[in-house]
Amino acid sequence: MNRIEFMAELERLLADMPEEERQAAVQYYADYFADAGEANEAEVIRELGSPEKAAQSIKADYYGTEFNESEYEHKDYMEKYGQRSSNERAGGRTDSGTGSGQGGTENGAGSAAGGKENDRPWTSNTLKLILIIAIAVVLWPVTLGIAITVFGIAAAVVCFFAVLVIAAVSIMIAGGVTVIVGLAFAIAVPPAALVTAGIGILLFVLGLIATVGTVKLCIIVYPAMLRGFVNLCRRPFYGKAV
Amino acid sequence: MVFNTGAALLDAIVLAVVSREDEGTYGYKITQDVRRVIDVSESTLYPVLRRLQKDECLEVYDRQFDGRNRRYYKVTSRGMAQLGLYKSEWKIYIQKINEIFEGGVTA
Repeated sequence: MNRIEFMAELERLLADMPEEERQAAVQYYADYFADAGEANEAEVIRELGSPEKAAQSIKADYYGTEFNESEYEHKDYMEKYGQRSSNERAGGRTDSGTGSGQGGTENGAGSAAGGKENDRPWTSNTLKLILIIAIAVVLWPVTLGIAITVFGIAAAVVCFFAVLVIAAVSIMIAGGVTVIVGLAFAIAVPPAALVTAGIGILLFVLGLIATVGTVKLCIIVYPAMLRGFVNLCRRPFYGKAV
Repeated sequence: MVFNTGAALLDAIVLAVVSREDEGTYGYKITQDVRRVIDVSESTLYPVLRRLQKDECLEVYDRQFDGRNRRYYKVTSRGMAQLGLYKSEWKIYIQKINEIFEGGVTA
């Protein structure tokens, strides 16, 4: 690979970055090659590793993710002090088969590095979403039933609390009406009117208390239901700790 | 080197290297200067320079050189202040380490 190929590949790998970022990075490496001079071109390319590595280091910093240089090369002190050469480890990493004929340490290094590779999370939200939709489609008679049931229960709960409020308000209104009716008879039959009005006032107050109570209950229950539902939907994507 | 160079120390070294040139300096030279002191790979420095530039510790300008535009880096006043902070922090740090290494630990 020469520097023109390197630069072309780097530019291609940075294509998904903002134009300004890409320009700056490309200008930097173009400068770098020019200043290093043609004589050092091969050396610079060897040192840079690969366009992938350079692109990764640029993106990692831009997107604020961790750039793990050891994935690309091994510049630790073990190598420097000659206990293990970079080639052996790199060989073990990319193809553990080559390590099988060699000593135990190389094998260990190979499998350890391989294990590290497997530790990387393999899921993605898009994949999960596709899987969930796929499962939903395949099991649609079941999911439809579950969806309707869940919706039905939710509607029932919503209506139940709404009815409580309406009932409370009705009692209040009934109380008010009773008071008015009672007062209408005040002149004709005073004792009966007083009893009726008293019962009316009592009803009205009870209704008022019930109304306030049930409205408060709704204020607590409805948002909680909504939150619970949202959490239930989010759980597959963000894990339990939302 | 046996010791790792953390992000802050790398920032400090780069700022110090760039600050030595009044006219500013360019990517390749910065890399060579830094590599004289610590062992970093060539792809390490671009992200550092870019970040320092975004943090307004470095400013860039293009100047004609050899028939092309070369990008130069220069330390801003903010960068100088940051470098001063790094230097004083470093002094405290090595003092403490030296105390343990050479003065011995007195329980």
